[in-house]
Amino acid sequence: MAAHTHTAHGNEELNYLNWKTGIWSWLTSTDHKRICFLYLFSIMIFFIGGGIAALLMRTELAFSGPQIIKDPHTYNVLFTMHGVFMIFLFVVPGIPATLGNFLIPLMIGAKDVAFPRLNLFSWYIYVFGAILGGVAMLNPVDTGWTFYAPYSTTTGTSVSLMVFAAFVLGFSSILTGLNFLVTIHQLRAPGMTWMRLPVFVWASYATAVIQTVATPVVGMTLLLVIAERTFGAGIFDPSKGGDPVLMEHLFWFYSHPVVYIMVLPAFGVVGEIIPVFSRKPLFGYKMVVLSSMAIAAVGFIVWAHHMFVAGISDFSAKFFSIVTFLVAIPTAVKVFNWVSTMYKGSISFTTPMLYAMSFVFLFMVAGTTGIYLAMLGVDVYYHDTYFVVAHFHYTIQGGAVIGLIAALHFWFPKMTGKMLNEKVSKTAFAFLFFGFNLTFIPQFILGMDGMPRRYYDYPAQYQTLHTISTIGAYLNGFGYLFALANLFWTAKFGKVKAPRNPYNSVSLEWQTQSPPIHENFPETPVVDKDPYHYGTPTGTHA
Amino acid sequence: MLGLLGEQGSEFAYKVDFANDVVTIISVICTVAIVGTMLYFAVIYRQRDGKDHETPAIEGNNTLEILWTVFPTLVCIWVAWLGFDAFVDLRSPPADAMEINVTGRKWAWDFQYKNGKKTTGELVVPVDRPVKLIMTSVPADTGVLHSFFVPVMRTKADVIPGRYTYEWFKPIKTGDFQVFCTEYCGTEHSKMLARLKVLPQGEFERWLADDSEERKLAGLKPADLGKELYAGKQCISCHSLDGSARVGPTWLKAFGKEGELADGSKYKMDENYIRESILYPMKKTVKGYPAAGMPSYQGQLSDDEVTAIIEFIKTVDGSKPIDIAPAPAPKKSGAAAGATPVERGKAIVHDTGNLCTTCHSLDGSQMVGPSFKGLWGRKEKLSDGSEVLVDAAYIKESIWKPAAKIVQGYGPVMPAMYEGKLTDENLNDVIEYLKTLQ
Repeated sequence: MAAHTHTAHGNEELNYLNWKTGIWSWLTSTDHKRICFLYLFSIMIFFIGGGIAALLMRTELAFSGPQIIKDPHTYNVLFTMHGVFMIFLFVVPGIPATLGNFLIPLMIGAKDVAFPRLNLFSWYIYVFGAILGGVAMLNPVDTGWTFYAPYSTTTGTSVSLMVFAAFVLGFSSILTGLNFLVTIHQLRAPGMTWMRLPVFVWASYATAVIQTVATPVVGMTLLLVIAERTFGAGIFDPSKGGDPVLMEHLFWFYSHPVVYIMVLPAFGVVGEIIPVFSRKPLFGYKMVVLSSMAIAAVGFIVWAHHMFVAGISDFSAKFFSIVTFLVAIPTAVKVFNWVSTMYKGSISFTTPMLYAMSFVFLFMVAGTTGIYLAMLGVDVYYHDTYFVVAHFHYTIQGGAVIGLIAALHFWFPKMTGKMLNEKVSKTAFAFLFFGFNLTFIPQFILGMDGMPRRYYDYPAQYQTLHTISTIGAYLNGFGYLFALANLFWTAKFGKVKAPRNPYNSVSLEWQTQSPPIHENFPETPVVDKDPYHYGTPTGTHA
Repeated sequence: MLGLLGEQGSEFAYKVDFANDVVTIISVICTVAIVGTMLYFAVIYRQRDGKDHETPAIEGNNTLEILWTVFPTLVCIWVAWLGFDAFVDLRSPPADAMEINVTGRKWAWDFQYKNGKKTTGELVVPVDRPVKLIMTSVPADTGVLHSFFVPVMRTKADVIPGRYTYEWFKPIKTGDFQVFCTEYCGTEHSKMLARLKVLPQGEFERWLADDSEERKLAGLKPADLGKELYAGKQCISCHSLDGSARVGPTWLKAFGKEGELADGSKYKMDENYIRESILYPMKKTVKGYPAAGMPSYQGQLSDDEVTAIIEFIKTVDGSKPIDIAPAPAPKKSGAAAGATPVERGKAIVHDTGNLCTTCHSLDGSQMVGPSFKGLWGRKEKLSDGSEVLVDAAYIKESIWKPAAKIVQGYGPVMPAMYEGKLTDENLNDVIEYLKTLQ
């Protein structure tokens, strides 16, 4: 970044990017804004790696019969790699560790998070886990990111190391969540009451609760897999009185809530963007906040909807179906509130706003297809077909990843002090949005036709839809590459300097300079207004 | 209605499809309504000429919040009920359902009927009769998860080692349908397919009662099945029942016998020893017999079949002579006659008493010894690293003195039983025949 500019431009230009220089100053920085960038660069490596794996798979699947991948084992390794990279190394730390880090202290008027050194330590744990995961790929794992026993306890690949990597990454997640919880409780500026917190902070709070409560369970589960492989513990081995279905329960007890770790922050991002570009208060602020907390709470008791056909009792299936519908309601409430925020607004179609509006559409698809999968008799058909693959990608890519990309565009001026070129950003958005839908809409239809997931090859009747999906995947991949290149290029070489508050936002993070100084605000801000006090009582000039 | 899930093959398929149709229609309407509203707001409240206009500070509306909490809740209750109702059908097989045992293994489906009939990769059922599949994954200690998915029947359930799960359906039409494994189970997961054949009832009864080979074998007492396997699986080639020496030890009075292994340790010929010897013959070799002389039967014999062979060995106690149908009584090969040398050679090679084809294939496939196909004129690499051209002298030496030169990758297992049995003239005929196997 602009390493030496402060000498040329005087004190006004001193900010968190240039107040210390050199790679060492970054690797030892406890500044939450710099740690955001440490995470951002690390997770992008795995986003690109996981993306390449996805494109290789889509290329293989473009036509029936073996194409570029000559053996099924390699394909199985690729979908495992795609899942592990994207879930554990990209999306889970995705928004919380990057934008959560950057924004929470700024939004609540704090100098930093509660435990800055722990924050940096969390990143080092992440790096350690990532290296372990990379080493495990030398004898590549072929279990899928779900590590289901008994396959994971019997296959000859380096599952133990990969699982240990995920275990280590879990600690990074737990400590980050803990840090945010304490920060939000303890470091709010004077006047920043709970009901004045921006919804992104609320979403991050709900996320942090899940991170700290659910992650230990998956850590335990993954250790049990290692115990099984190393000592033959027998917990998941039926011939020793164990039960492979127990592994599924423990796994999903974490891995369903983790979906909300991924997507709740994205909800928060959309809740920030829409009011700014509609010039309206967020409609039903309290309901939006409440719905985040409700999703986080209900999210803990729905895990077995991943297991309707897994051999659980019919009674359990019925229970988990009903509670799963409970998630649909707060999610619907959020969507209604976002759309209502635009009512009588003064709407400008900036790139972040386009991402936020596309998010509403993508998440409607994700949410409604989730209803299919909550319906018992219907889920029996769709379980483990491409319908689930498409639903999941609408949720996580259409939700969490689009949320992240939207956020990176929205807060870019604050993070880098530069303005993006709107035309370039919108072109990338168009590729991304069109490519994404072209990839996954055919997969819904494939699922309806009964095409199972995790198949290296398929009967010829499915070919046309697979071919279309592959074309979409290339467009989608190109869109991401384009968007990321635009962000990176502008950050490094962009000429247009960002003002303090380019969107005329009322949130706290826009009231300090762009980029902010090391400890965010020259003096502790005092908050005396609601977070989205846009508009006038009558809506006309006073 | 919408026909989204394709052909309906089972009685409850319409229920699943109805639920699916309802949720599809609701989803499309809701998505269009919400996204449409958003786009409508976006258009009419857009900033004109890039100029901001005043907006009302509307913070919310409690009536709306209640409405859009209650309305989705009601819709959810309705569709949840539809899914629930279909699920109850899917999980309630009638008491008179025909039961079929299904086992999943890496990577094939096996089916067994009440009368003992077994099939692999093909599930045959009668139309208009409820069928209940009782499923498990084998083997219990190293088996993995599978899932039995019959799209046309709209049903699916995971198949788990060490426990039984079930699914059922009542076919409403005949035909040939696809079955998938839908729980990831390893390398060949995508090849773990099966066919479902729904036959008219009469045809099914005939099929089920069909006196096929499997049924004959399945209906046998274990010892009788073992006897069939003794001949059918070529045990007979190397193990005699009358005490005579062949490549491997005789089975006469073998059960319970104790002896010494090649490494000097003791063995006792009990059930577990026999099982291990059949499935992992490399592990232990009886003293005086060639190491690695027996191919593994792992994957070729089921657990039941291994048990049957053990039961058969128990009966070979010398108390009564055992009559093996295609008795391979050694004949004097000199009797081989024929017009041309090739025909005479062929007769010698194919004479069951000479046992050549037990270990040498004619089609290039690898068995205990090198294939005869393309042997003549080939350059073989020997176990000492040297190369040798397969000519008349080499072939004669290999037959008369098999231990002299061993081709790399094979064991020194060919019995030295041909010197004196086959004359120089016989071998010239054999060589002429081998030349034709290119």
